[in-house]
Amino acid sequence: MRLGLAALLAFAATTCAGADPPQFTAAELGRIAAHGPWPLPWTADPGNRVSGDAAAIRLGHALFFEPRLSANRRVACASCHDPARGFQDGRATARGLVAGTRNTPGLFNVRHQRWFGWDGAHDNLWSASLRPILDPREMGGKAARVARALRGKSALDCHYTAAFGKRPDAGDPELLVNVAKAIAAWQETLVSPATAFDEFRNALQRGDAEAAAAYPAAAQRGLGLFLGRGQCTTCHAGPLFSNGEFGDIGMPFFIAPDAVDPGRQGGIKRLLASPYNLLGAHNDDRMRDDPTRSNATGTKFLRAEHRNFGEFKVPTLRNLTLTAPYMHNGSIVTLREVVKHYSELDEDRLHADGERILKPLHLAEAEIDDLVAFLESLSPDAAPPAPIAPPAVPTCRER
Amino acid sequence: MNTPITAAIRTRLKLLRGLIRCVALPAIACMLPAAFAAEAKLPIFDAHIHYSHDAWDSTPPKAAIAILRKAGLKRAMVSSSSDDGTQKLYAEAPDLVVPSLRPYRKRGEISTWVRDETVIPHLEERLKKHRYAAIGEFHVYGADADLPVVRRTVQLAKQHKLWLHLHGDSDAIERVLAQDPEARILWAHSGFDGPAAVRAMLKKHRRLYADLAFRNDHASNGKVDPAWREAFLEFPDRFLVGTDTFTPERWHYIAEHADWSREWLADLPPDIAERIGWRNGETLFASMMAQRR
Repeated sequence: MRLGLAALLAFAATTCAGADPPQFTAAELGRIAAHGPWPLPWTADPGNRVSGDAAAIRLGHALFFEPRLSANRRVACASCHDPARGFQDGRATARGLVAGTRNTPGLFNVRHQRWFGWDGAHDNLWSASLRPILDPREMGGKAARVARALRGKSALDCHYTAAFGKRPDAGDPELLVNVAKAIAAWQETLVSPATAFDEFRNALQRGDAEAAAAYPAAAQRGLGLFLGRGQCTTCHAGPLFSNGEFGDIGMPFFIAPDAVDPGRQGGIKRLLASPYNLLGAHNDDRMRDDPTRSNATGTKFLRAEHRNFGEFKVPTLRNLTLTAPYMHNGSIVTLREVVKHYSELDEDRLHADGERILKPLHLAEAEIDDLVAFLESLSPDAAPPAPIAPPAVPTCRER
Repeated sequence: MNTPITAAIRTRLKLLRGLIRCVALPAIACMLPAAFAAEAKLPIFDAHIHYSHDAWDSTPPKAAIAILRKAGLKRAMVSSSSDDGTQKLYAEAPDLVVPSLRPYRKRGEISTWVRDETVIPHLEERLKKHRYAAIGEFHVYGADADLPVVRRTVQLAKQHKLWLHLHGDSDAIERVLAQDPEARILWAHSGFDGPAAVRAMLKKHRRLYADLAFRNDHASNGKVDPAWREAFLEFPDRFLVGTDTFTPERWHYIAEHADWSREWLADLPPDIAERIGWRNGETLFASMMAQRR
C-alpha cells in the first residue's frame, strides 16, 4: 500500500512540478513516519512539582518578560528569547548584561529535551532557567531582587503564593528555585505548530496521495537525501529531529585566541557539580530514590569523556527559519551554508576513531537546494503569533 | 625601638614559633609548602601530541611550550602535519619535546598517504635533515600495511633505528611486524581494542607498546577498570598515556588530560603508575633522543 502510494506520489509530483521526487522505499516510509506525529503529547515534568500548574504558568509567563529580575532592571529572559523569532534573538551570540559566547537556543518544544543548553550543563528545565537569572554575564539576579520584584506586583505575589503555598521571601532558600520552576512551567507550554513536513508525513500515514503530493518535490528530494546518503537521521532523529545528545561536527570552538569553549565536556562537569541537578534536593520527583524509575538515573551515571571536548548539542531542526544564525556559536548565517558545511566537511577535524558517522557529502548545488527546501519545510510558514498569556488564577486580581 | 639586633631576635622567635606550630600540626602539612606540593604532581610523558599547521597561529610555539610545562609534562612526543610544527616546538624546547616524523605534509593526507609515493622522498629528506625518535603517528589498516609506501616507511624506521607510531588495527600491526620482526611499534590508542585483545597482542609481540590516547574505558572516576588493571599489572613497562591534540583547540585540553591521567594512575601501585605515567616514555624515547644529540 505504502509503496503504491509512493509511486503515485512520484507520478503526481512529476506531473505537477516537472521534477522527480524520490520513490521512498517501505523502510524509508517507516523512517518518515518516525518523525511524527506532531505535536508530541504533553506530560508533566516529574522533577517540577508546579509543572502544569495554572498559577505557576501564569507567574512564569509574567516573570519571563520581567526585566526587574536583572541587575540593571533592563534584561529579561525575553530579551534574548524573543517570541517573534522562535524565542531566539537573531544574534550570533547572546547579549545579556555583557556579550556571551554562544548562540541563544530557541525555546519552542523545550519540554521534550533531555539535556539543556549547548553543553547540556543542565538536566532539567528549571535549573536551565535559573542559571541565566543568576549569571552575572546575563541577568545578574539575586534572591533579594527577585523577592522585591514579586512583592512589588500583587498579581505576581498572589500567583507565587497560589503556586507554592507561601509568600515570596528573600530569605527562603527555595525562592529562586521556585521562580525558576514557574518559568519552566510556562516554557513547557511553548509548542510550535505543525509544518508542511508534518502534513506530508500525516498524508502518507493515512494514504492520502493527493494531500501528500502538495509537499514540494524539492523538499521530497531533500528528505530523500536526509534519510539516505546524508544519514542525517542518525543524530537528527524522531519528531524533534534531534536525538537529544551531543556531537562534534568539526566546528571550531575557540572563543578567544587563548581560550576554548569545552562544550559537553565542561557541561558534564558543571552539571555534576550543580546543586540544582536532579541528584540534588530540589528534584521533586517522587520516584527519585527508586534507581529504576528515578528521573536522575541518567545524571547519576554520566561521566565526561575525552571525546566530549568540543561536542555540542544536536539541535532540533524544527523552526530553523525562525532561529538563524546557526551552530553553537552562531557562526553560520544561512541554512545553505549549514548544508555546505556538511557537504565539505573537514574530516581532519574529527577524530579518526571517535567519529565514524560524519563523512563529507560532496553535494551538487541542486542537492544543496533540495536539502535546504526540506529543512525549510520543518518550520511554520510564518512566525507563530506571540504566545497568549495563560488565564489568571481567579483568586489573583490583576492590576 | 627596632635595632638590627632586636629585629634579628624577632626573626628567630618567628622561626621558633613556626617550628612549634609544625610540631603541633600534622607533619605533612608543615613539610609540604605549596611549591613542593606542585612539584609532587606525577610527571607525565605525553606520547601523543600533534602540532599541525592550523595550530601555529592560535597557539604559537612559545605559548604551546608554556601549555606543556604548565600541565606538568616531563616530555611530549610531538608529530605534526607538516613536520615544520614539530621542528618549531623542538627548537623551542629540546628538553621537553621528543620529535616524531609524520608522513603527512598537510592535513587531509590521513587516508591517502599509503598510496602516495611522494611521501617517501619527503620522509627521506626530513630524516637526513632532523633527528627523530619515531615515524608517526600515521594511519594504516589491514592489508594497506603491505602497500609499497608503508613498506618503505617501515624500512626507513629500521634503517634509522626509529619507532613506528602506528594508528591502526591489529592486522596492520601483524603485517608490519611480518615485514620487520624487530620493528618497535607504539600502537596508537592501542587500536581501540579491548583489554583482552591488547594484552594478547602485547604478549605475542615483545616490541609492541601501547598508547592509551583518546580512550576512557580503562578508568572512570579515578578508578581503573578491573580488566585493564590486569593488563597494566601484567605489562607495566608497555603502556604510555597521551592526549591526542588532533585539532588546535585540543591544546587547551592537555592539562586537563594530564590531571585525568594522574587521577586514575593513583589507583595503581605507585611504581606502576610512575612507569605508565612517565618512566616508560623516558626509557623508550627520551634517552634515545639524548644519545642522538
